[in-house]
Amino acid sequence: MLANLRASLWLLGLTVLLCCVAYPAVLLVVGQTVFRSNAEGDLIRDRDGKVVGARLIAQPFTEDQYFHPRPSAVSYNGAASGASNWGANNYLLRDRVARTLGPIVKYRGGPNKGQLVAPDIEKWFQQDRYQDNSGIVAQWASAHSTLATNWVKADPLNAAFVITWQEGHSDDVAQWKKDNPSNPEPKPEDLAVAFFTSFSKENPGKFPSGVTPEGSTDKKSEPVSEGSDIQSIFFDMWRQEHPDADLEQIPGDMVMASGSGLDPHITLANATYQLDRVAAKWAETSKGDVATVRNEIQKLLKSNARAPLGGLAGVPIVNVLEINLALKDRYSERPLGDK
Amino acid sequence: MNIYAAIEIAVFFVILLALVKPLGLYMARVYRGTPCGLNQVLLPVERLIYRLSGVRPDSEMTWQRYAVAMLLFNLIGLLAVYGIQRAQGWLPLNPQHLGPVSPDLALNTAVSFASNTNWQAYSGESTLSYLSQMLGLTVQNFLSAATGMAVLVAFIRGLTRQKVAEIGNFWVDVTRSTLYILLPLSFVLAIALVSQGVVQSFGPAVDITTVTASTDAEGKPVQTQQIPQGPAASQIAIKQLGTNGGGFFGVNSAHPLENPTPLSNFLQVLAILLIPAALCYTFGDLVGDTRQGWTLLASMLLVFVPLLALGLWAESVGNPQLADLGVDANASLQQSGGNLEGKEVRFGVGASVLWSAATTAASNGSVNAMHDSFTPLGGLVPMLLMQLGEVIFGGVGSGLYGLLIFAIVAVFIAGLMVGRTPEYLGKKIEAFEMKMAALVILIPPTIVLAGTAFAVSFDAGRAAVTNPGPHGFSQILYALSSAGNNNGSAFAGLGVNNVFYNSLLAIAMFGSRFWLIIPVLAIAGSLARKKQVPISAGTLPTHTPLFVVLLAGIVVLVGALTFVPALALGPIAEHLQLLSDSAP
Repeated sequence: MLANLRASLWLLGLTVLLCCVAYPAVLLVVGQTVFRSNAEGDLIRDRDGKVVGARLIAQPFTEDQYFHPRPSAVSYNGAASGASNWGANNYLLRDRVARTLGPIVKYRGGPNKGQLVAPDIEKWFQQDRYQDNSGIVAQWASAHSTLATNWVKADPLNAAFVITWQEGHSDDVAQWKKDNPSNPEPKPEDLAVAFFTSFSKENPGKFPSGVTPEGSTDKKSEPVSEGSDIQSIFFDMWRQEHPDADLEQIPGDMVMASGSGLDPHITLANATYQLDRVAAKWAETSKGDVATVRNEIQKLLKSNARAPLGGLAGVPIVNVLEINLALKDRYSERPLGDK
Repeated sequence: MNIYAAIEIAVFFVILLALVKPLGLYMARVYRGTPCGLNQVLLPVERLIYRLSGVRPDSEMTWQRYAVAMLLFNLIGLLAVYGIQRAQGWLPLNPQHLGPVSPDLALNTAVSFASNTNWQAYSGESTLSYLSQMLGLTVQNFLSAATGMAVLVAFIRGLTRQKVAEIGNFWVDVTRSTLYILLPLSFVLAIALVSQGVVQSFGPAVDITTVTASTDAEGKPVQTQQIPQGPAASQIAIKQLGTNGGGFFGVNSAHPLENPTPLSNFLQVLAILLIPAALCYTFGDLVGDTRQGWTLLASMLLVFVPLLALGLWAESVGNPQLADLGVDANASLQQSGGNLEGKEVRFGVGASVLWSAATTAASNGSVNAMHDSFTPLGGLVPMLLMQLGEVIFGGVGSGLYGLLIFAIVAVFIAGLMVGRTPEYLGKKIEAFEMKMAALVILIPPTIVLAGTAFAVSFDAGRAAVTNPGPHGFSQILYALSSAGNNNGSAFAGLGVNNVFYNSLLAIAMFGSRFWLIIPVLAIAGSLARKKQVPISAGTLPTHTPLFVVLLAGIVVLVGALTFVPALALGPIAEHLQLLSDSAP
């Protein structure tokens, strides 16, 4: 037994020396000499030498003039990679996709070909009828109580709105407490479904949304009958009632989140879909012609798209950070036409 | 899936099969102790290791002594990993100043790495210091893999030797596996990975200012981002080759710094199956009939390829729930199409599904896409591949000794049909071998099913679920299937970093590793004592297509009989629900 113990300890120690000291150390030397920039995460520096990003780690871009990366379940937090881990049948997944699509999706055919669906969603929403019953918002909240709860938790303004409602609706709150005896001190999010049911009755065709009133700088929640909240949250229900509407197809990687939450690439199909928005915005800020700018950016995309292994192993993909830095370089610091 | 993915998968199989013979032959030479090419450099190192450790390489062990040495060695390794994690706050190479790991998590991680499972309840970049990753985890990546290979070689000796009690020297087998096979292969792979952009540094994470401002998960404005660093490449190479699977970063090989390009992905997925496939040839060479090895490999492929095809189909069709909304799932030359939730676009559906099947067929458990977000049938494939007992490729060494146990059962069943005493490679299979084989085959499913039943019976077990309906049950079943077969992959949404799951899964991982090795060694010891019987007219040849089908059939039959009821409650129910929910 003692011989076994001695052999175990020595072998463990020597393996540490070989496999955990010598092996990574030699690799470190190789990495730092032969593949220096690769071994440190491939950092990108601007002209002043300041690090502006890592080529392989997606950064958040939400502004119109930039290409947007794929959705991230971790808000592009480089220190904590992660995914949604939602199953294919999880309604949270469908809801996230629907919300992204609502404000941007267009008709592919029919009388409104090429127009946004969003205004029609708003018009339909204002009529306040879903599946032959009134109260769209109440139906939404009772069908998806998790979403209603998440809405209250998402923003302090929303929670404040529910608290204000609570004060004027002691009957509803009392009824809720009677139905849920195990929870005598409900938090605002616990009351979400009751809140939306009552809200829907009192504000048909409206949804509480954060707005900034004119002449004020403070955002507050108010019942509204149009806007991006309605376009996004109620796109799915609108779609259920309009299954025959011929809609444009959206590239999958635009709405499905990546595995790492840090996927630096999008497909060329996705980038091409975003091209109109990006070109329009740069044309506006640089006071150029939209078609010219669009052509330029399209060329830029083509030259930035890389097909893996020279096209043998996959579809062309675009590095979002690189293309956005190229756009910034091209349009924000030099006047148009100056090459 | 498009034509690119089909080409890539075809190339994958061609290269894998082309490497089986050269690597298999090389490993056979290593275990025979004959010159293999690297011994001119490494023989002095090997001798030095024996001298310092007090090992006499020519002194052989009975199966009992072999088992004691193996258990003691793994126990000490396990305790060392536990100790390093608990003490990492006071130890060097901790630039992020991470504190000690909690006791239950440290125990889970220690068992996980010592048992070649590499289940990760922690997230690498936010929990473990570089020292813990290197000294604690990397060393077990090598030694747990080497242990599996050593046990396989001991088992093969049991088949080939006659009328002796000894089955080899554990220390020699572990040392040779590490020094001649795992270390050189890792080195070559790691250099290739660094060239592709996998990080290999010792500096702290780099803070950068992003191009535009945005909001973080809590809705607060941010304009900074942390770029993680660390000695990743060296660990990733061995985690792929040694069927370990424990990633450097939380999302494993989906992380762009762990697996940056399609080429790095191809090399990593090839590395998963490389040694398990080549060991089939090593086996054939060591028993003196390479047809026996090719037969085993053919059985593995016979199960693997159809399941891979099912997975590819399911993921390429995509998610009908999202197609309703206008999401384009069609593959074209512009996009890989299919279900991309939890997948990286640089891999697409084809390379992601290939990986998911390879990593669960072998007991690797690394991932390059999130299995939790696969379609129900796409997720059934990896789950079933684990539940088949990790014998379709399986862990390095452990997969093949597992399949050899199934081969013993196969000749036994064939023997029952014709009424003759079964024999395998000239060794009579008798009551003792069959009892031990039954243990090896029954222990993992028992752990998986009893563990799942236990977990769903308690609030603490159910509270960890993060998906509604049958998928929630699938999450638990997947976790136990993974731990109970030493795989290590996960339906990662399940909240497993708590005392309940850390303890339950630690027990499952420990049991399914070491409770199997002991009966396997017992069979080896028993077979070594027997004399070889000559081949007669009544001997079932074990190198024929008939035997390929028989062996694969028995593996599938045992797995299916055991797990179909559980699968019906999970992925199959989920699939039917998905179809009915999205029907017009």
